[in-house]
Amino acid sequence: MKPETIKHTRRHLRIAGAVALVLGMAGTTPAVAAQDPGREVIDKKCASCHLEDGKLTRIPEVRKTPEGWDMTVVRMGIWHKVELTPDERRAVVKYLADRQGLAPSEAAAFRFLTERRPNMQDAPPDEEMAQMCGRCHSYGRVALQRRDEDEWRKLMHTHLGQFPSAEYSALGRDRNWWEIARDKMPGRLAEMYPKNTDAWRDWSRAKHRPAAGRWIVAGERPGWGAYTGTMTVTAKGSDRYEVGYELHFGPGNTVRGKGESLVYTGYEWRGTAQLGNEQTQSIFALSEDGARMSGRWFLRKADEIGATFEAVRADKAAKNALVSVSPQMLRAGETATVTVAGAGLDAKLDLGSGVEVVEWLGKSAEQLKVRVKVAADAAPGVRKVAVGGRASDKSVAVYRQIDSLRVEPAFGIARVGGGTNPPVTAQFDAVAFLDGADGKPGTDDDVRLGSVPAKWSTEPFDERAKHDEDLKFAGHMEPHGQFLPSFAGPNPNRRGLNNVGNLSVVATVADGERSLNAKGQLVVTVQRWNPTPLR
Amino acid sequence: MRMLSIKKAPMVIVALCCAAVSLPALAAEYLLTVTRPNNLHIVDPAKRAIVRTINLPGDGIPGAIAVPKDAKTAYVLTNRMESVVGVDLDSGKPVFRADFSTPQRRVKGFFAVAVSEDGKELYVHQAPVQLGRSEYKVEDTYIAVFDTADGMTAKPRRTFPAPRRISLMAATGKPDHLIALGWDMYLFNTKTGKLEQTFPVRHWNRPGIGEPDVLAMWGTFEQARALSTPYFVAKTDVPPDSPEAFKAGIAVFDLDSETLKVKEFENATTAMFSSVVSPVARNEAFLVMNQLTKVDTDTGKLLKRKDLEQTFYAINISGDGKEIYVGGALDKIAIYDADSFEKKGEIQMPGGADQSIGWMRVVKR
Repeated sequence: MKPETIKHTRRHLRIAGAVALVLGMAGTTPAVAAQDPGREVIDKKCASCHLEDGKLTRIPEVRKTPEGWDMTVVRMGIWHKVELTPDERRAVVKYLADRQGLAPSEAAAFRFLTERRPNMQDAPPDEEMAQMCGRCHSYGRVALQRRDEDEWRKLMHTHLGQFPSAEYSALGRDRNWWEIARDKMPGRLAEMYPKNTDAWRDWSRAKHRPAAGRWIVAGERPGWGAYTGTMTVTAKGSDRYEVGYELHFGPGNTVRGKGESLVYTGYEWRGTAQLGNEQTQSIFALSEDGARMSGRWFLRKADEIGATFEAVRADKAAKNALVSVSPQMLRAGETATVTVAGAGLDAKLDLGSGVEVVEWLGKSAEQLKVRVKVAADAAPGVRKVAVGGRASDKSVAVYRQIDSLRVEPAFGIARVGGGTNPPVTAQFDAVAFLDGADGKPGTDDDVRLGSVPAKWSTEPFDERAKHDEDLKFAGHMEPHGQFLPSFAGPNPNRRGLNNVGNLSVVATVADGERSLNAKGQLVVTVQRWNPTPLR
Repeated sequence: MRMLSIKKAPMVIVALCCAAVSLPALAAEYLLTVTRPNNLHIVDPAKRAIVRTINLPGDGIPGAIAVPKDAKTAYVLTNRMESVVGVDLDSGKPVFRADFSTPQRRVKGFFAVAVSEDGKELYVHQAPVQLGRSEYKVEDTYIAVFDTADGMTAKPRRTFPAPRRISLMAATGKPDHLIALGWDMYLFNTKTGKLEQTFPVRHWNRPGIGEPDVLAMWGTFEQARALSTPYFVAKTDVPPDSPEAFKAGIAVFDLDSETLKVKEFENATTAMFSSVVSPVARNEAFLVMNQLTKVDTDTGKLLKRKDLEQTFYAINISGDGKEIYVGGALDKIAIYDADSFEKKGEIQMPGGADQSIGWMRVVKR
């Protein structure tokens, strides 16, 4: 086809699309939906290519997360010069994520990816999936999409068409990558991740509770410690909210902030906020009944630095809904102050056998504060916490001594920085454990006590790292367990290595008179050049 | 600034002549290499200097370089692997251009570009994809044959089917024969398009040896008339945690005898990207990435290794076998003594431009 003919045809199709829209024929969406600004973007911009015989092509055949849709929209801009204003981009992503999203149960297994948790291991179901898909991007990016076989196959064509090096790069060139991608993968993927599911049918039909209201929140920021607080959510239009935060990280460290959020697909909360002097982003999920929220917030320009987040709705319906108990580890024979945060709390607290409440320091529906005495002969181990006679999923652990220590993550990654790419730091935590029933550390029955303050140091991981002096070049460890990597290089003193390194991260913890050590591994590696919202 | 404009071409010809005069009986050797964004450099290795920089038309990044025997024209794969541009090395002027893609069909050539010995035909392995309005359609790969006399709007004169993921090609010493390295090595007749012989690499079925991993992206075969590449392979008859479990080897295809030789030479401990066979001691090959390595391809002995000051992707060798040239990756060509591995010199690319994945060829003029 000559270019003029194409232009001509496209104009015709655009007109056809507009006509179809007016008649309420566009796709399968009813005419009223045409008022949606996202739908307008589809009809005015997307349909200039994705329309055949009055029907949208490709777009209706896919379900994705908000990030998945956003990446698609951005790609259309890069690949096919589709120009969208920021408002149009937001509108079309919202429209598609709401109507063609994932049910909570479909997205659950890969929330670590959506939440951009650092140092997580991807979870492909087998080697073929890991190698065919997960060698270039996370496997989760695949698992957070739904298509039928034909549409998965079209995606394969897009892949090799757009990334022709896929069949030349490692784990692509050693096999008939294209034939496997074209002939085998679409069927496998459609079986695992089909377009139509009961979960989505049910979720898309159900009505979901808006996020507006007051929430009691808690979480832990590695390097800072645990926090509790409140989040006040005010509706500002459909699925849009204004949010106020007050987070207490401990005595004298209260962080206040304001922000906004948008809820996609009835549960996918995406927010931004200034917390203290930090610009943050939040990626939460409302529970299916809308009574809880969980996820992670992180720094906008350094998503490896952030905190876990859990919240319970503090409304009249809330009944002994716990969000945190702190501290989570209590030493036998000692007294301690224990704070329970939640919503609709009754002043009736059971911390399990051997842990006796000796004094009430505070009683409110959102916080119970008590002094407890832990019996000297209390059995070490975990006790479920019950409030108002109702058992919760929160617990405290009694210990006599810390039996063992672990560094988390056991395998961490930091990335050198420089130029347009800021360094990626790695935050480590020292976590105390009891040996459990078998009396041995490092086994499945070990009892997790919680994070403990540690002294941090680094060592060469192996002989090679020692020989290459990785310790000297790769960066340095901050007192709170955060590793700050070096600049990228080139470093003429290191030849091909520049400033990468392979280190052991050592935590030293004092437990009374005893001192415990644990080691993790830190690989300081090269930059990522494509920081996508879904890796 | 060592970059020379095309207008100064007469001066360059003078420089080339002088260089030729100052060298021994053999025709003078020059290195050809490319840098971002889209430059071809003619380097005089004896003078450790760039004698001419030619700005290539189109979008970068230049990669593969094919040169016929007479070394008059260099054919460079560029324009995001979607064009080959031929430039006259004396005038610096483009004399040939083949744009593979059209608005409806994107066609890439992945390094596999070769020119016939007489310079009349250019061969490009092509991977096409139809760009439909709403979807892409990947098509089968093939080798396109261009007539180099077709000038600036060359279209393939003919095509013949070829397996996917071919990355290197070279004309052999026999008329109309083209060797292509992909999963295996395929010997084509370029006139008939017939696949005449397959030399198994991935499918070599050697007892106790798995399928090799070959990243052959750098075509260097002109000096010894031997196309070679490092490879890495698992030994399947030892425990996976044994140091013997993963070996590094070298594959050498003799362009005149049309024979393939493969030899493992060490337990794999380091990556090597490209290799070159010595034209004077044909059992000796040199490999490069973070180290310079010399191996005996007959005995499988590692003869010498030296850590380099930086990473280099591409390697070549002087016609007398005495100097090793390493380039690619960053902005420098370094010259090493082939026996002592002592560094003898270096040539900096103008403006610190990276050679990146670009090739480095030797031409005799």
